[in-house]
Amino acid sequence: MTVEYADVVVVGGGIAGASAASKLAAGGLSVVLLEKQKVYQDLVRGEWLAPWGVREAQLLGVADCFAAGGAWEIREWMTWDEAIPADEVEAIDMTRSMPEVGGPQSFPHHAVCELMAAQAAEYGARLVMDAAKIKVTPGVEPRVGYLDNGTEHEIRTRMVLGATGRVGNVGRQIGVSMSGSVHHWGGGMMVEGLDDWPADVQAMGTEGDVMFMVFPQGFGRARLYLNLATGTQHRYRGPDAVRNFLNAFELNCLPDRGKAVTQAIPAGPLAVWPSMTLIPDGPPLTDGVVLIGDEAGNGDTVLGTGLSCSMRDARTVADILLESDDWSVGAFDPYLKERKARMDRLNFGAAIISKLYAEFGPEATERRRRARRLMSQNVALQVTGLLNMVPPEDVPEFGFSEFFAERLFRETA
Amino acid sequence: MSMESLVNRTLHVNGVDIAFVDQGEGDPVVLLHGFPDSSYLWRHQIPALVEAGFRVIAPDLRGFGESGKPQEIEAYDMQTIVNDVVELTLALGIRKAHLVGHDWGAAIAWMYSFLMPRRVDHLAVLSVGHPGVFSTPTLEQRAASWYMLFYQFPGVSETLLRRNGWRLFKQIMGREGDHTRYLRDLARPGALTAGLNWYRANRSPESELRPERPFPPVLAPTLGIWSAGDKAMMEEGMTGSAKYVKGPWRYERIEDAGHWIPLDAPEQVNKLLIGFLGTEKPAEAANRRRRRL
Repeated sequence: MTVEYADVVVVGGGIAGASAASKLAAGGLSVVLLEKQKVYQDLVRGEWLAPWGVREAQLLGVADCFAAGGAWEIREWMTWDEAIPADEVEAIDMTRSMPEVGGPQSFPHHAVCELMAAQAAEYGARLVMDAAKIKVTPGVEPRVGYLDNGTEHEIRTRMVLGATGRVGNVGRQIGVSMSGSVHHWGGGMMVEGLDDWPADVQAMGTEGDVMFMVFPQGFGRARLYLNLATGTQHRYRGPDAVRNFLNAFELNCLPDRGKAVTQAIPAGPLAVWPSMTLIPDGPPLTDGVVLIGDEAGNGDTVLGTGLSCSMRDARTVADILLESDDWSVGAFDPYLKERKARMDRLNFGAAIISKLYAEFGPEATERRRRARRLMSQNVALQVTGLLNMVPPEDVPEFGFSEFFAERLFRETA
Repeated sequence: MSMESLVNRTLHVNGVDIAFVDQGEGDPVVLLHGFPDSSYLWRHQIPALVEAGFRVIAPDLRGFGESGKPQEIEAYDMQTIVNDVVELTLALGIRKAHLVGHDWGAAIAWMYSFLMPRRVDHLAVLSVGHPGVFSTPTLEQRAASWYMLFYQFPGVSETLLRRNGWRLFKQIMGREGDHTRYLRDLARPGALTAGLNWYRANRSPESELRPERPFPPVLAPTLGIWSAGDKAMMEEGMTGSAKYVKGPWRYERIEDAGHWIPLDAPEQVNKLLIGFLGTEKPAEAANRRRRRL
């Protein structure tokens, strides 16, 4: 067994872990980054980054990793929905909410993570791919054990950042439990040959029993997502899964009945998952270990803010580690407080969005139709939509009042 | 961000560190890349030429790859860059070499050839024709080169190109050449400004308006290669170059390739180069023959 020392061990080389490792290594700390994959592959993760997330990436110094990894700025947002007559569909300009940043970006997740990890390594971090059996021992002098090519290694460290996503590998070892709920199911796949789709336009909407999302990545590529009614997910498994997934975009609300999408060519695996909201039962940290990203608790993916949150976490925690030598549990109070407030708002918003757009059937369609009418009469009611663009703390307070939600749903019931 | 490279040597010449590939033994061939490449552009040619019995010298030109990146515009004057190549070959003890250039590298190779005819064995130029053709561009060529003119506003275009996740840069580059690598290379500190300075130093509005200079003729046997899929350069830029070449001139058009011919058609380029370099005799220098009074 080998033993080494590092100031910080980051467990998990995804968006949260790799961006934190890059920032910490750039700041002069000795860092080991452990990633369980042998090579980065398309695992069908989040590939849409809100403008406020782009800002976080800039502050972390990883914005160019996105661009070089294939990020594409999307400028307009169309809602094509069975509850909206075709002549009332409007394009929303997404480049204006944070003009210094521009629109949201869509990118191949694994390619960006790979570049971030490489950047962390260039700044001096030690990157371990294919790290197995990762064992975290918290405490004032925490330790991390792992298996690399059959050899046992131990790292003595001052701080472990748990960033293993929903897998929750580190959180489980330090006793952070989560309360989970599933509102609907999700599925996603990368496609190419989407030549008839305008590259500047993302689209979503609901029809029948699917809520679809199309996020172009430029040059005819796009990430497709579906949110599904629980109980229909089996259609997207088995030998016809890919065909059924693409056929699900054959919708009356889409121009040309979605032909541009249904004729696209699969360019990656199809994955289907329960869209979980995970809320930690206690603070996501202990002596010598802090959780960041999805591992610290995550919202419903319907909002698309998971990556932005991951990088906000990475930046906040990295700044605390770089600014002071006090790495005690108490030093992370500002992080816990900000995160709690942020997730409360995002979870509140996600509940509204998923109730409106990821519920299916005649009643749900009627609710969507009325909600749309209300929102066009009073633009303030569109406040929840802001959560996609600007950081949650910048969204007006009234959007998070029970009164607001009650009014929206009572009047649309 | 890390980058791929075949560079195995570095020398300090003409006031700047020049990193380069030095491989093989035999008659020297100097490979000159263009914008926004590095010697890595030639990765398919280098082993083929080495195998064919040449010594390959492929520098990262100043501002690119692992070479020095001065930040002043003046440091990227064509004459200065030609001098980099002259001093590099001098430092390596090479008196005469075959020259192969692509894009800006072709422009450098042309200039090197008419300024120093005795230091050039054979010349092969890809995509970009003789600067004489280029200094009297047709309207069509001007339109195709609009992106060159765009790069000229110091400070502004770095910001514009980087904005919104390098969106404009991606639109200009499309998915040609090493498009994923270019952005990674240009994101390195100082690299974008250095790369753009090539354009600023050499295609500024003043130099557009400068009267055509009488160019000395190119005496070396010259092979011009242009590709039908080139969106930035017109065919007439290459075919029109014939009148500036006094040595044997050969023109080859490659159909199924974009601007980055060495990457898009590696087999054809290798075959053309190996079949051409060292096979022809140069033209006699004009001043050898004295007219009787």
